[in-house]
Amino acid sequence: MLQDILVTGLVNGGVYALLAIGFSLIFGVARIVNIAHTAFYMLAAYCFYALLVKANLGFVLSAVIAVGAVTLVAVVCYRLVIEPVREHEAAVLIATIALALIFQELMLLTFGGHYLGIPSTLEGVVRVLGVSIPYQRLLILVVAAAALTLVWFVLYRTRLGLAIRATANDLEVANLMGMNVNRVAMATVAISVALAAVAGVVVAPVFVVDPFMWLAPLVTMLAIVVLGGLGSLKGSLIGALIIGYVEAITVFALPAGAYLKGAVALLIMVAVLLARPEGLFGVAFEEER
Amino acid sequence: MLRSIVVALAGALLAAGAHAQTIKIAILGPMAFVQGENHWAGAEMARDQINKAGGINVGGRKMMIELVRGDTNEMQSVSDATNTVERVVTRDKADFLIGGFRSEAVLAMQEVAMDYKKIFLGAGAAHSKLGINVEQNYDRYKYWFRVTPPKDVDLVRTTFAVLATVADQIRKQLGKPSPKVAILAEKAVWVEGIVAASQKNLPAMKMEVVGLWQPSAVATDVTAELAAIDRAGADIVFTLLSGPVGIVVGRQMGERNMKAIAFGINVEAQKDAFWQAAAGKANYVSTLDTYAEVQMTPKTIEFVRAFKERFGKAPTYNAGTHDAIQLLKTAIEQAGTTDADKLVPVLEKLSFVGAAGVIEFDKRHDPVWGLGKSTGIAVQWQDGKKVPFWPPQVPGMQSFKMPAR
Amino acid sequence: MYLLRRGWAELKNEVFVLPSRTLVLAWVVALLALPAVYGDAYVLRILTMTCLFAIFAASWDLLAGYTGQVNFGHALFFGAGAYTSALLSLRLGVSPWVTIWAGAAVATLVGVFVGYLCLRLRGSYLSLATLAFPLIALGLLFAFPGFSGGELGISGLRRLALTPMANYYIAAVSMLAIVFALWKLAGSKFGIVLHAIRDDEVAARASGINTPRYKLAVFAVSAAAAGFAGALLAHYIRIAGPSSLEVALSFQVVIWGIFGGVATIYGPVAAVFLLYPLTEWLGSFRAVGELRLLAFAVIVLLVLLFMPRGLAPWVRDRIEAQCPRCKQRNGAWKRLCRLCGAPLKAEVARAQRLVGHQ
Repeated sequence: MLQDILVTGLVNGGVYALLAIGFSLIFGVARIVNIAHTAFYMLAAYCFYALLVKANLGFVLSAVIAVGAVTLVAVVCYRLVIEPVREHEAAVLIATIALALIFQELMLLTFGGHYLGIPSTLEGVVRVLGVSIPYQRLLILVVAAAALTLVWFVLYRTRLGLAIRATANDLEVANLMGMNVNRVAMATVAISVALAAVAGVVVAPVFVVDPFMWLAPLVTMLAIVVLGGLGSLKGSLIGALIIGYVEAITVFALPAGAYLKGAVALLIMVAVLLARPEGLFGVAFEEER
Repeated sequence: MLRSIVVALAGALLAAGAHAQTIKIAILGPMAFVQGENHWAGAEMARDQINKAGGINVGGRKMMIELVRGDTNEMQSVSDATNTVERVVTRDKADFLIGGFRSEAVLAMQEVAMDYKKIFLGAGAAHSKLGINVEQNYDRYKYWFRVTPPKDVDLVRTTFAVLATVADQIRKQLGKPSPKVAILAEKAVWVEGIVAASQKNLPAMKMEVVGLWQPSAVATDVTAELAAIDRAGADIVFTLLSGPVGIVVGRQMGERNMKAIAFGINVEAQKDAFWQAAAGKANYVSTLDTYAEVQMTPKTIEFVRAFKERFGKAPTYNAGTHDAIQLLKTAIEQAGTTDADKLVPVLEKLSFVGAAGVIEFDKRHDPVWGLGKSTGIAVQWQDGKKVPFWPPQVPGMQSFKMPAR
Repeated sequence: MYLLRRGWAELKNEVFVLPSRTLVLAWVVALLALPAVYGDAYVLRILTMTCLFAIFAASWDLLAGYTGQVNFGHALFFGAGAYTSALLSLRLGVSPWVTIWAGAAVATLVGVFVGYLCLRLRGSYLSLATLAFPLIALGLLFAFPGFSGGELGISGLRRLALTPMANYYIAAVSMLAIVFALWKLAGSKFGIVLHAIRDDEVAARASGINTPRYKLAVFAVSAAAAGFAGALLAHYIRIAGPSSLEVALSFQVVIWGIFGGVATIYGPVAAVFLLYPLTEWLGSFRAVGELRLLAFAVIVLLVLLFMPRGLAPWVRDRIEAQCPRCKQRNGAWKRLCRLCGAPLKAEVARAQRLVGHQ
């Protein structure tokens, strides 16, 4: 049982990390709580489904096009919908909710309300430490690790990454230093949604695809981001692993209570917030005047 | 100018006249989802069949059926569903109501329908409370009749009957006197009674219950549960699933090449789209169902074939709206009126041969359960096809297959 | 007689001078007179629900707009009121007229509890933490299905009144009373303190204001109103189920609140009265019916682009202007302020010309 927990927690944690880090990035840089983040994840899953099953384009090609297309849609949406109302925090909030609802309804209308299955990229299982893990899940883990490494590289070894980190640190000073804040924000949106899209493409074959699949991961992702500290990438990663393991433990240790795993994760988040109001690694921002 | 007024007046008169000649039946369901689609499809078939044959004979006068489409949006909002009922009754002047799916919503919809004293034939919600209301407060709730599915308690009886058959097959094939059963039931109120009954009855049926696992109805991953079930050495996974977790179970069991066989109630597995949704992995998954090309009654095969031809997919139990309308027609013709109060006693004594089974109502206005009446069937997915295998004595049934060991 | 003259004087001096207040008066009159003119049961039903959701939205605005504690889990209070009233009236046989108050009371307690937990949280942390509470509550409800009815909820509740018209009046009068009370509260000294807390809590505390007490008080009042609305709705549709705690409902009230204009109380009420019947009406058309949520989201998005502060502030800015000297509102077409006589639009023409030359 311990091995089951170890492996399941790691795989689920990896997926959550992909989503949480993207969300944290946008929040850190642009101070936007992007409720539509997991909606992009859903869009990518549907795109992948359409390209793979309907257009028969093959896994790699479908995956790349899906991620690219969704990132493009995200940037366009940001430009058209979010940027005009950037100063009004409240408006941005419901703009993202409205976007998410629009995507949900569009998927509902195009593909119908029933559940769709995407064939696995890799078939078969492998036995590790006495636990049989399907190759698809290993793939998820590998892709998650690769994506995260790539993001780390971009953030800490390139000029764009430097600009992003600077803007996240202090938007006004970064602007004064000559960085084009709007362009940096757009780049951040692109990276963040690309991460979510990669998660969608790689995870969709394991789960079922339906127009409401963005709601459950949204809540878990918010719990993770809050737990780890809004705006802190390290916090998101660690938070994702914590929540992944908490859920795995709940399911394995309490088989009759498996339905409670969401509620338990949220309870943990509330508990941490009571002890540390900024989350584990969050920085308590000075009230911006 | 004058001419257009005359034409408009004539049109209005004609419409009014036409209106007086039709019986309006409102079909209530979540139209954006499979359940609502089936509600509507079954109703359309019945309407076209009846109208083509001349309509319903109401005390000597022939009246056509007009369907009113009521999208209840019940999956997303219970209050929207009640609004829809009110609208179809007061605005669209519906005479009869048929449909419903989500039990929480149907309970609320029932209240509105009873307020207006309209006959409401249920075609989707299995919860017993709907029938208990009839028994406890007959004068108010007598206008409710459940056409499909059988109430949850009766579904259990069917399940146990089939489970006994499956267990027998396992005993013969594996030589095990006491097959091990793992109960995999989603966390929901409707399973509580069944789980308790299983834990009590299965040992008496010479089966050993090795554990109870309860994922959420919308769980997307059941690896934990399946790993534990594997370790417990189960032969049968007794599923009680109504949500998308049914798809996940089918798929992940196939991916793990589990030797245990999944049987029980798996609502997602009743749909044609299940095989694709489980990415072709859900072989040997079996479940209770309602329609297949077997001769439950003389009308079954004809109905299923006609439905498949017209709509390109097999009917789910929600297409019982077809039987409901045909039943209503029989009752109206017998009573000679569309008055609800006069129809209720006629419906109560009716024995109607539908496409799913023979429909008779008990004192809770639930369909009477029994072989030869309404039991439902059991089907198994074999290589992408849904194959019916129970009740074995009905012509058209095929045999139940087990995964190779 | 004196009262009549006094009433008329009040009307003339307080209400009719401002177009926004006149509009509100007209709306109140229309609301109360509606059943006499148009007694259609379906319309009454829609308006009854609108009134109840308006109470819900107004209560959210008090919490989110005035103290800045944007609550993403407001449905918790709604559901708490609904379930309490349902359990008491069904299991113990108490009359619904009593249990709705009990529902509001329990919701208040829940509000204080949540408020207490969220005292140290700020901004987005608070919002996301409040999102968690209804979900935890849902988990608890599913864990004890014998008590709570699980996913089916508690059904077969008694109505408060028997006819659609009576139910409508109960909802409308409750709504008018509660919204007016909330508005008065928000406009009083209490409300000014709330504004201070939202704008700069540290400064407020430095000024000697006991901010935790105010924040808890607001949570309590807001939760009480929401719980009352929840209980009323439960007795109206005769069922209290998990749908009263859904995330979708919490998001819906956030949309109504921000769309209507935060920190106004009447803004969200206007938003509900506009959007809820609109989506219902859209839903009744066969072709458009399945697009209702899509249309709703698109409308919200478009309106937001043009009126980012919300609908009510935008409308108010069109019909009223603020006097530059005494800061009181006047009708936009007036030249002189009604209170201090100052010109509403400053005459800058000559000054501009002087500056332009240089």
